[in-house]
Amino acid sequence: MRFAIDTGGTFTDLIVEDDEGECRMFKARTTPDDPITGLLNALTLAADAYGMTLGELLRRGEILVHGTTRAINAIITGRTARTALLVTRGHRDVLVLREGGRSDPFNFTDPYPQPYVPRSLTFEIPERVRADGSVMVPLDEAAVRAAAAELASRKIEAVAVCLLWSIINPAHEMRIGELLAECLPGVPFTLSHALNPTIREFRRASSAAVDASLKPTMGTYMRTLESRLHEAGFAGRTLVVTSGAGVIDARDAAEAPIHIVNSGPSMAPLAGRHYALMESGSHTAIVADTGGTTYDVSLVRKGHIPTSRETWIGEPYRGTMIGFPWVDVKSVGAGGGSIAWIDSGGLLRVGPKSAGAVPGPAAYGRGGVEPTVTDASIALGHLDPDYFLGGAIKLNRDLAVAAIRQIADPLKLGVAEAANAIISIATENMVQAIVDITVNQGVDPRQAVLVGGGGAAGLNSVRIASRLGCRTLIIPDTGAALSAAGAMMSSLKADFHAAFFVSTSSLDFDGVKRTLDRLSSRCRAFIDGPGAGAVETAITFKVDARYDTQVWEIEVLLRGKLASEAELASFVQDFHLTHENLFGFSDPISPIEIIAWTAEVNCRFREQSGLRLTSAATLAERPNRAAYFHSTDWVDVPVRQFNNLVIGEAVSGPAIVESSFTTIVVDPGAVATRQQSGSLLIEVEQSQ
Amino acid sequence: MTALKENTAKLDSVTLALLNHRFEGVARKMANTLLRTGRSGVLNIARDFSCCIVTADCELLVANEGLPIHVLSGPDIMARIMKEVAPMLKRGDAFLNNSPYHGCSHAADHTILVPVIDDKGVHRFTVLAKAHQADVGNSIPTTYHGSARDVYEEGALIFPSTKVQENYETNQDIVRMCRMRIRVPDQWWGDFLAAIGSARIGEQEIMAMAAEVGWDLLTAFSREWLNYSERRMEDAIRRMPVGSAKRSSTHDPFPGTPAEGVTVNATVSIDPGEARIQVDLTDNIDCLPCGLNLSEACARTAAMVGIFNSIDHSVPKNAGAFRRIELSLRENCVVGIPRHPTSTSVATTNIADRVANVVQAAIADIADGYGLAECGAVIPPAAGVISGVKPTTGAHFVNQLCLGMTGGAAAPGADAWITICHVGNGGLCNVDSVELDELRQPIHVYSRELVPDTEGAGRYRGAPSVAVEFGPVGCCISVGYVSDGAINAARGVRGGGNGGNANQFRLTSEGRKAQLDSCAQVTLRDGERLLSISCGGGGYGFPEERDPDAVARDVAEGWITPERARNVYRVAVAGDRVDLEATVALRSDHHHN
Repeated sequence: MRFAIDTGGTFTDLIVEDDEGECRMFKARTTPDDPITGLLNALTLAADAYGMTLGELLRRGEILVHGTTRAINAIITGRTARTALLVTRGHRDVLVLREGGRSDPFNFTDPYPQPYVPRSLTFEIPERVRADGSVMVPLDEAAVRAAAAELASRKIEAVAVCLLWSIINPAHEMRIGELLAECLPGVPFTLSHALNPTIREFRRASSAAVDASLKPTMGTYMRTLESRLHEAGFAGRTLVVTSGAGVIDARDAAEAPIHIVNSGPSMAPLAGRHYALMESGSHTAIVADTGGTTYDVSLVRKGHIPTSRETWIGEPYRGTMIGFPWVDVKSVGAGGGSIAWIDSGGLLRVGPKSAGAVPGPAAYGRGGVEPTVTDASIALGHLDPDYFLGGAIKLNRDLAVAAIRQIADPLKLGVAEAANAIISIATENMVQAIVDITVNQGVDPRQAVLVGGGGAAGLNSVRIASRLGCRTLIIPDTGAALSAAGAMMSSLKADFHAAFFVSTSSLDFDGVKRTLDRLSSRCRAFIDGPGAGAVETAITFKVDARYDTQVWEIEVLLRGKLASEAELASFVQDFHLTHENLFGFSDPISPIEIIAWTAEVNCRFREQSGLRLTSAATLAERPNRAAYFHSTDWVDVPVRQFNNLVIGEAVSGPAIVESSFTTIVVDPGAVATRQQSGSLLIEVEQSQ
Repeated sequence: MTALKENTAKLDSVTLALLNHRFEGVARKMANTLLRTGRSGVLNIARDFSCCIVTADCELLVANEGLPIHVLSGPDIMARIMKEVAPMLKRGDAFLNNSPYHGCSHAADHTILVPVIDDKGVHRFTVLAKAHQADVGNSIPTTYHGSARDVYEEGALIFPSTKVQENYETNQDIVRMCRMRIRVPDQWWGDFLAAIGSARIGEQEIMAMAAEVGWDLLTAFSREWLNYSERRMEDAIRRMPVGSAKRSSTHDPFPGTPAEGVTVNATVSIDPGEARIQVDLTDNIDCLPCGLNLSEACARTAAMVGIFNSIDHSVPKNAGAFRRIELSLRENCVVGIPRHPTSTSVATTNIADRVANVVQAAIADIADGYGLAECGAVIPPAAGVISGVKPTTGAHFVNQLCLGMTGGAAAPGADAWITICHVGNGGLCNVDSVELDELRQPIHVYSRELVPDTEGAGRYRGAPSVAVEFGPVGCCISVGYVSDGAINAARGVRGGGNGGNANQFRLTSEGRKAQLDSCAQVTLRDGERLLSISCGGGGYGFPEERDPDAVARDVAEGWITPERARNVYRVAVAGDRVDLEATVALRSDHHHN
């Protein structure tokens, strides 16, 4: 048996796959103070459903894949280790100055962000390597020892080291590592060149600082997780979801916890890729995960999941730069809890303020009075207040309507019109998030399918698809636990990076060969080590490249290993094409510079690529209800149970499809069809 | 689509919001293209560019989140000039404008204008992409020629709305001219392609939107969005205090200026009853025989930057909001409307910053809780234009560095944003990576550090100065810079202290330290270093009103010394804690009048 468990903010989602390949889905409440208890509770629910004890269930487990927000929460709440930073002398302010930049240039109400490691815990080490790797100032070992003594006296719990040009010549960083191990035994440290060999010292320093600061806490978490699972009977392998849409062994995650910082949203595109391909044969998908407060958008581009290097925790320029590539996810503060308001110019706005889980939307009756998107869905009759999460939570329609009046009255609209307007604005906020990420990654939304995940996805995904010009919307049957589904489909994965600068105007073929050979052998060592026993392995090479004198690189897959003039010519062609796709033009006469090389190794352990949910029991159908759509006004619409839809059965909008996990609004003009796999495929009417 | 079509009958608040999202999306998409594809560092690292959409009537509608000094005024004038010089606009046309006498900010900002034409041939909108170039063919290798007596000595090729594309085809005659005059022409060509690409994306997006909802709705939106923005501005001004203040700010003496420098005077009046803000800039000296004069676009924009820095930041910045602002400018005035051939080479920074600073500081003078202190002046050598020949390849290079500028001003309720660069930049500029600069140019960056005790002290503090030491590796380099603020620091407001002064020195290989001029083109030999010190920013409110815990943190973090905590902030710090008793004694002794 295999377990995939995603610990989210509110729910812990579990998917269990039995030895016949049948899957079942479970949800337990997250226990924020001790998330492992919530994880075990979910497993206990599953054990009950299979008629076993927890021990019996776990003893059958071979692999447990875990997605966790533990690391990112530690950063956001500041509960990381007391961390020091060692830098090249003269460059103490690397984390203070960052890379400059600011958003909202007329806003002087926000203070400047504090450096991730305080200046008082940043130590300058006399040494300097030049850009060509030669040593200008030798490492002052006595100064390192003195700094280590100071760190000990100041009770430092972790150390990050980032020296200029350590990516070209790491000798000084490595020697500092040896000295730290000697002088500060047991204190974890991170060397920037080893963790993230990328040019741009701020990003590398930030990566190293974040990584070091997480080591003590994530080490404890991973050890506790493994031992508690072991005590409960699990003897299999525990894997953790990375920010790069792969999984790594729990003990490796403890060694380099930065890899799992964005563990949460990285799995959705993996599941999305599977469903897009299976249901519609599409290699390009927009994957949206709708939560209560955030809307996360990720992409699948020609079968690949694009990554981004502009990775911030929190707001860009105001938050923490991870400096590490991860799955490109655009998050906006838009969800069921987003609050609608009218600004001083009379314009309707939705969000970014959210009612959150507490007090929640007005309809929750827990003290929230401001109108939210969920309240609008209730007022429109789209969401049944008596059947929210299968009736687990009762909502109050009157409170929702009263809240919507705060918008309707000043705008001189009816309640339904106002609620519809709120959904329109919320939809547009989500659409702009999708537009942003697709522009950045060169994806045309009209050529993509939209995959809707998350409990609230069904409420306006048809409208989003219509607005974007996506013809096909897929709501997977695992949609409410899309990340856990992705985790079940994931492979063991590692990325190895090398910094090596070449230009196509005079390509150093020998240097390229050396670089790629080194990366290959690291991949092979990984396949022989953690990857042993995989049913399939694959190595792919990618480069970060740009036109001569550009600054921002784009990622291009290598088809070969740039070993000949012919392979170089095909790479050059691929680069021009990629640039053209991303930005609408190419510059065929310009040389191309490659500054970074990545080898990605994938080891797949599961035979099958997708997953199959056990068909659930049929439920009693519920009566039609009145729902409002702009084009129809109030109409009586059929309400269908997701589980009862037979394969191939089509439901024409206006209609509502409900399950105990989610509600799907099929707008007028759209047609939803149950697929072989269990997913709902919705053909969206094009208004263009 | 569905949502929009539903609302074609009347342009209600929901349609307004939806279309605004769409237009902002267009501007963002244009900006993203320009940023990601530009070649010169000043564009793609320093983000010295902007993108915007103006209406057929030449009113600024929507701009990307670009440099404040770039867009508020100027695009409107350039669009008007485009219509004047080419009354028969056709789809596929594109124009290049960098003329400070025709609405551009200064010659270094090449602006591409593309008229958006409907199927019937009617001009509906104009999209603009403006980008600061690494070189524009000046007589010396810098785009900031502070000592140029006139546009002839400045030397840039001037394009007063020149058609560079017809039927989407580039006029290669113009390209050949540029290639003969602009240094490192391939870099310019790359930036030209990026700007054209950006403007064309804006054009496509607007046409796609029109195909969906119709041109009439887009036109109605423009009208209503400007009205809405005006209402927001009215509301913001009505919440401000009534009052008037006259204030001045002096730019350091440079070649071509009076010996005492250039004093910029402004009178700012806030009339909440009428919801109007007036700025009078007419009481200022005539244009000068140097590159410091403002273009009309920069004079207008700088005054508006000071205003928008001081009011509710969520008010949309467009022609609608501008209706509530009255600016008085004078022809042939250093902060007014220059006449050809006056040079405005440095119009976007030095004097323009003095204008924005004096306006926001005057608003602070009117009432506590409003306005902003002065931001630090620029351009120090660490943000200058460097050029030379690479010893490895023999190739020429020219680029603007952005290794270190700070200058952030304290606000009524927050400490400064340290890397504001200068007031007209708003902090959008990226700070260069040392490694990237050392890779791109034959230079070495010896150190880059904030300087303690250079913050403008105050209830909220300004940014400290940053000191950068850099020099050539294996060759000579030329560094051009125009650094204001060595004499006239950024001033604090409402009792706040001044920021640290700018300065620069040559450090010879023998270890000698020689003072350098503030406005110069300096050649550094191999082994020599240039020490560049940026301005700090002014403080807001009396320093002895600063939260003592914040002062203790500033000491612990090395922003200030314990001596400064005691003498200026009147806080006694013991270890990393406040000595409460001693602090009470210090503060009760002290009366700031």
